[in-house]
Amino acid sequence: MSNVVVLDNGAGLMKAGIGGERDPTAIVPNSMGRPLSSKKWLMAEQLLSPDVDLTSATVRRPFDRGYLINPDLQSSLWSHIFSNLLKITPSHSSLLLTEPLFNLPSIQRSLDEIVFEDFNFKALYVSDSPSLVHLYEASRRPYGLVSKAQCSLVADCGFSFTHASPVFQNFTLNYAVKRLDLGGKALTNYLKELVSYRSVNLMDESFLMDDVKEKLCFVSLDVPRDLQIARKPGKDNLFRCTYVLPDGITNTKGFLKDREEPKRYLSLYDKAPQQVAGEQTDTDQLDNSEDRNRSNGSKIDLTKNEFGLTNERFLVPEMMFRPADLGLNQAGLAECIVRAISSCHSHLHPVLYESIILTGGSTLFPHFAKRLEMDLRPLVPDKYRLKITTQEDPILGVWRGGSLLASSPDFDAMCVTKAEYEELGSARCRKRFFH
Amino acid sequence: MDEEMSNSARRMSLRTRKIAPKMAAALASSDNRTQAMLARLDALESDNAVVEPQLLDDDDEASLDDEDQVFHKKYPKGTKRKTRQAKALENKRAPKSFLELLNEANLESLPPHVPTYLRAAVGPPSSTSRRHFCTVCGFSSTYTCVQCGMHFCSIKCKAIHNETRCLKFVA
Repeated sequence: MSNVVVLDNGAGLMKAGIGGERDPTAIVPNSMGRPLSSKKWLMAEQLLSPDVDLTSATVRRPFDRGYLINPDLQSSLWSHIFSNLLKITPSHSSLLLTEPLFNLPSIQRSLDEIVFEDFNFKALYVSDSPSLVHLYEASRRPYGLVSKAQCSLVADCGFSFTHASPVFQNFTLNYAVKRLDLGGKALTNYLKELVSYRSVNLMDESFLMDDVKEKLCFVSLDVPRDLQIARKPGKDNLFRCTYVLPDGITNTKGFLKDREEPKRYLSLYDKAPQQVAGEQTDTDQLDNSEDRNRSNGSKIDLTKNEFGLTNERFLVPEMMFRPADLGLNQAGLAECIVRAISSCHSHLHPVLYESIILTGGSTLFPHFAKRLEMDLRPLVPDKYRLKITTQEDPILGVWRGGSLLASSPDFDAMCVTKAEYEELGSARCRKRFFH
Repeated sequence: MDEEMSNSARRMSLRTRKIAPKMAAALASSDNRTQAMLARLDALESDNAVVEPQLLDDDDEASLDDEDQVFHKKYPKGTKRKTRQAKALENKRAPKSFLELLNEANLESLPPHVPTYLRAAVGPPSSTSRRHFCTVCGFSSTYTCVQCGMHFCSIKCKAIHNETRCLKFVA
């Protein structure tokens, strides 16, 4: 019995496991890191272990802007995963691999080379991620709209970019896909830049900032109001959070000073909004100076090594919705989705608007879906209903779809085998995957 | 004014040699503001704040704020030959960046109905309104720096901006 290795090869995280299972065996960073103190590069899951000190670690990634640029690095990361985490022998397995949309032919060629020549896989199937997400969602709700109409719009906010891709009959409609060049990496870097300028220089601490972003950032439903609240001093400021930096001795990972602090703002979304909006305005000028002092680090006690965040918490994810604020001349996520749908046949519009699926790690910010709906509604004609589906685990959505596909009876017939690759070469084998 | 400009330009070139080659290119261009903006966007995609840290000597970083002479003395003495060799080696092995690969793929030559990476980009937003946030404190801002085009919200933020950020490109 041969097994199928399913590998969702993201630029940020690799999700790898055996086809047919519910969850992947390994969810590890697709990168190598070298801590300041050592000469050895740590691979993938070694970066996740709790006792590694990643302060000022150097990072190398095989991906740049979402596409593979360093096949050698990727190959060594894969071999590490296959032998240490999955414990499989490639020559006895098939591989289901995801690749980014519009992958360049030269990259496809080098991928095929790695798969067949370095690892000797028996067979290969390459898929794009939206169709797998669609497959998973359709099978989860066999009587839902997604599976009955056989189409959906997959909005995938990944590590390097965001794609809005319509899927029809399990095929991604390439001509209608729209891409926004913002993803988790850009958001982390943006947060890093803000914190480094305003309080502590953390420009080298990508891993730390990732953690800060995941724990503290959220999507605001009302930016002007939240900005007003963020100006307030003391306890009234529901957004202020303190993050303690690692000192390298007692703790090598940063942590939140107060675990409850980040959740305080949630009270805003429960009670009526008009209460908060009224009392502001006259104290504006006073708070102003104080806030600036705080954000410039004069209040930060260097012996304690901590920094505070206020408006950064929601202004960072805000960039997904309004990239123009950052100076990036691209439309926001909502408009991205609208344009993708408008490029499809008009008969599909009503169904697509009603089956928007959110996936990808960057959709994990609290209130992401709600905000997207608020932004989308004014752009969508009144006659259409709007429905946004979130996945219970957006990071694994693609992998689970792949696992389903790998366990289907037709899978073997869809693959390109090693013999075929040797006979026909990369380019002609790729024609079989229709994308 | 003139002298000030040239002075700051000189200081910038010193910095950019170490921080990012893209920023050096941005400064050489006539349209400073857009170029600097592009360089900043580019920086959002970089992995490490310092480009190619394995090539640079760690001690070198310390000289960033030192006197010019120290820097000049240090550079030719110890490391010049080594880096050249290392560079030659590095060029042989170094992976191409995505933009280089994209150029090589020559996607423009494909017929217009073929969807490609370039055609999938979402394009500019339909409403041109852009909100401005103070680059110092993050709140909404109404003023723009006449020299570099960054935004600030009050005279205090302006002072901080001039002192730390204006035409300095320390992200």
